Amino acid sequence: MAGKRAAKRDGEQMVGDAAVRLPPDCRLGALSALHAELVAALPGGAVELDGSQVERVDTAALQLLVLLCRELDRRGGTLAWRGSSAALDEAAGLLGVAKILELPAAGPA
Amino acid sequence: MATVDLSQFHKTFFEESLEGLDAMEAALLALDSGSADHELVHTIFRAAHSIKGGAATFGFADVAAFTHVAESLLEEVRSGRRAVDAGLTDLLLRSVDCLRAMLARTARGQPVADAASEALRIELTQLVAGEAAPAPAAAQAGATAVDGWDIRFVGLPHLLRSGHEPLRLFRELQQLGRLEVLRAFVGDAVAADFSTLDPGECHLGWELRLHGAVARPDLDAVFEWLDGDCELAIAPLAAVEPVAPSPEPAVAAPAAAREASAAGHADGGSIRVGIDKVDALIDMMGELVITQSMLNDIGANFDLSQLERLREGLAQLERNTRELQDSVMRIRMLPIGTVFNRFPRLVRDLERKLGKQVKLELHGEHTELDKTVLEKIGDPMVHLVRNAIDHGLELPRQRRAAGKPEAGTLRLDAHHEGGNIVVRISDDGAGLNHERIRAKAVERGLVPPDQPLGDDEIAALIFEPGFSTAAQATDLSGRGVGMDVVRRNVRDLGGSVGVKSVAGQGSVFTIALPLTLAIIDGLVTAVGGERYIVPLISIVESLRLPADAVRRTAGGGEVFRFRDEYLPVIRLHRAFGCADAVTEIGRGIVVVVEDGGQRVGLLVDELVGQQQAVIKSLEKHYRQVQGVSGATIVSDGSVALIVDVGGVVRLGRCSGKAA
Amino acid sequence: MAKILAVDDSASMRGMVAFTLRGAGHEVTEAENGQLALDAAGAGAFDLVLADVNMPVMDGIAMVRALRARPEYQGVPILMLTTESHTEKKMEGKAAGATGWLVKPFDPDQLLATVKRVLG
Repeated sequence: MAGKRAAKRDGEQMVGDAAVRLPPDCRLGALSALHAELVAALPGGAVELDGSQVERVDTAALQLLVLLCRELDRRGGTLAWRGSSAALDEAAGLLGVAKILELPAAGPA
Repeated sequence: MATVDLSQFHKTFFEESLEGLDAMEAALLALDSGSADHELVHTIFRAAHSIKGGAATFGFADVAAFTHVAESLLEEVRSGRRAVDAGLTDLLLRSVDCLRAMLARTARGQPVADAASEALRIELTQLVAGEAAPAPAAAQAGATAVDGWDIRFVGLPHLLRSGHEPLRLFRELQQLGRLEVLRAFVGDAVAADFSTLDPGECHLGWELRLHGAVARPDLDAVFEWLDGDCELAIAPLAAVEPVAPSPEPAVAAPAAAREASAAGHADGGSIRVGIDKVDALIDMMGELVITQSMLNDIGANFDLSQLERLREGLAQLERNTRELQDSVMRIRMLPIGTVFNRFPRLVRDLERKLGKQVKLELHGEHTELDKTVLEKIGDPMVHLVRNAIDHGLELPRQRRAAGKPEAGTLRLDAHHEGGNIVVRISDDGAGLNHERIRAKAVERGLVPPDQPLGDDEIAALIFEPGFSTAAQATDLSGRGVGMDVVRRNVRDLGGSVGVKSVAGQGSVFTIALPLTLAIIDGLVTAVGGERYIVPLISIVESLRLPADAVRRTAGGGEVFRFRDEYLPVIRLHRAFGCADAVTEIGRGIVVVVEDGGQRVGLLVDELVGQQQAVIKSLEKHYRQVQGVSGATIVSDGSVALIVDVGGVVRLGRCSGKAA
Repeated sequence: MAKILAVDDSASMRGMVAFTLRGAGHEVTEAENGQLALDAAGAGAFDLVLADVNMPVMDGIAMVRALRARPEYQGVPILMLTTESHTEKKMEGKAAGATGWLVKPFDPDQLLATVKRVLG
C-alpha cells in the first residue's frame, strides 16, 4: 500500500518512499489519521515528511514523530524532510526534539 | 485593579442570589419536614456556593465572608460529616434571612455587615468543626534565592488528554528565566510497536534547567495544575544566601467594587424571561411582517375586486395583533409559585409560635400572572394566611374536641378563571362567627341594627375599615393592619377579594386578579353622549328592568330585586353628571356589578360592545377621580372613562346607608 | 483569538466571564449547565472550556468526563471555576480530565491572565 501511495507522488523519490504531508493543524485531533498514514508509509523503510504546511502543532504530534524516528531506527529505515515550517521548527526546538527529528533548524530554546 | 467594570452584572447577581435563597429556604423547609433527599442538600449547598462565588467576584466581601462560613457548614452536611437536625435547620433559615437583608443593604449601597449578621456569622463559625482562623498562605519559610533549578518532568500517559501542553509549560518557564532543555526522552512504558501505539498517550520526559533567580513559588505555580499528571522533581542549582521573605501586604478585599455598587441602585426593575417566550414573540413578529407585506401588496394596486382579500388581510392583521399582544403580555408573566414559596416558612414559624399544627397544601404554583401584580399580591396573601392560622385554625385540642384531625389544613391554590387569576386561601378551621361579626359591625355603626343581612354580606363586613374579630389580640393580629388593608391592596391591583365561611367547617378567601394591569376586557356603555367602560371581571349580568321593578327606599335610594336580594341602583349619569342621558330606568339598561361580594346595579343608556381597553392613568394625565380608575381610547377614537367598580359600589352602599 | 465555551449556571458569573473574554477579543459561547455545554461543544470546535463545578442538570465534573470522551476534545484545555474551599473537588475535576482551575473569586485580570496562560 505504501508503494501505491508513493507511485502517485513525484518520481524524484525512490519507489517505495512515502512523502507524508503534515496537516496545517497538526494537533491531537488530527493524529489518528496521521498515525495511520505513517504506519502505512513505514514498510517502505524511508519516510519522507512534508511539514511545510504546519501552522499549529502540539506535543502529541511531535511525540508521534519522535516515536516514528525510534521505529525507523529500529527497522534501519530513514527519515527525510521535504520541508518544514517556522511553527514546527519552533515547537520542536522548545521541546528539545529538533535534533532527534533531524529538523533543519534546531535553534536553542 | 480590575480593568473591566463589573457593576453591570450586580443586578443580575442580586436577582439570582435572591432566587437562590428562595430555593435554599424551600429546600431547608423540605429537609425540616423530614425529607432525607440528598438532592435537597445539594440544592442548598449549590445556592450558598453560587452566592459566595458571585459575592466575592463582585467585591461584596461581607456577603462572601458570611456565605463562606455557611458553605463550610453545608459542606460538612453534604459530605455526611454533620447530621441535619432542627437546630441546624433553624440556624440555616436564619442565615437565609440574614443574607436577604445583607443583599438588600448591598444593593442599596449601605454598610452590609451589622451586629446581627456578625453574631450569626460567629455562631456559624463556631459550629463548623475545628475551623481555625485561615492561615496566611504565604509564609514560605526561609525563601531561598538560587540561580536556577534543575527540573525533571515526565508526563504520565493521560497528561495530554487532560488538556496539558508541555509546549505551553515551557513557554511559561521561559517567562521566568532562560530555559535549557538538557534532554528529551521517551519513557519505557510506550508500546513497542509503532502501529499499535495511541498518539494521545504521553510517553515523553524532559530534563530541564531553568537559569535565573527564580523563586520556588513562581516555579511551583507553573506546575500547579499538574499534580497527578506527571512525575516532577525540582532541585535548586546552587543555593546562595537566604533572604527574608518579602513582606507582601495581604491582598485587600476588593473595596472599589463596593463603592461602585454604592452608586444608588434605583430599582428600574428587570425581568428574566424564558427564551421560549421571546421565541414566540419573534415568531409572531414574523407573521406580522408577512401580513403587512400582503396588505402592502393589495394597497399598491387596489381595486374593488380585491375587497375580499383586503378583508382577509385585515382579519389576519387583527389576529396577529391579538397574538402579539398576548405574547408581549406573557413576557411580564411569572408563576405565582414564587409567592407561594414564602408560605412554607411562614406557616412553620406560625405553627411554632401559636402551638398549632398546620398542613399546608399548595396548588397551581405554575399559574402565571403579571410581574407587578405578583409583587404586590404577596403582602395581602401573607395577611390572609396569618389570619387563617391565627384566627381560623383551632388549637389541636380544640380540633380534637370538634372531631377533626389535630393538624389543620391550609390550602392555597391559584388558577385561571376567564380572564382572571383566582387565588384561594382556604382553611378547615372554625369558620367566621357571623353573629359576632354582625354584633361588632352594629356596635361600630357599620350597619343599622335592624338591617337584614345574609351570611355572605355579614362575612364581607370584615373587610370594612377597622374591623377585627380576634377575641384577643395576639402578637400577629395586633399589628393594626386589618382586612380592610387587604381589600384595598387587592383593589389597587384591579382585583377583588371575598370570603365564604361555614361555621365549624372553615373559610375560603377568594382573590380575583386581572392577568395584567395594563389591559382590561371591558364592556363599553353609553351614558348620555359619553362612553363608560365597565370591567368585564366585575359584571354579573346586564338586564332591562321593567319600570315597576324599582322601589324607593325611605331615604330616596332606589333598589331592585335581583335573584334573592335587593340591590341599590346607581345612576351613572347622576354619579358622573352626564347630560342628555336616559333617566327612566325602564328605558335604560341595568348592569349588575360585584365587588368584594357586594353587588349594585349601574344604570346606563345602552350597551355599545365589548372591547379590550389599554388603561391610561387619569391620575398621571389629569387627577384622581372618584369612581373612575382610568381612561382609554375606544375604537372610534374618542376617550372613554373606565368605571372603578369598587368605588362605585362603595358609593352605592354609602348612599343606601345614609338613607 | 480563541473560541471559548463558558459554562456556569450563574448568569452574573457567566456574564462577567463572557464580557471579559469578549473584551479581550475572544469568541465566547455561553452555556448554563453541563448538558447545554455538551450540546454547544458538539456544534463548534472550542480552544478552551471554562466550567463551573456545581450546576444543576449536569455538573462540571460530569461534563468534563463527557467532553474528554470525545476525540476532538481530548487535548482541549478545560478549566474548572471553583472555590478554594474544595480541594477534593479540584481533584475530582482533575480525575475527570480537567486541565486546571481558576479559583473564585477572580477578577477580570486574573481571568485573562489564566486564559492567556492556557492558550499559550
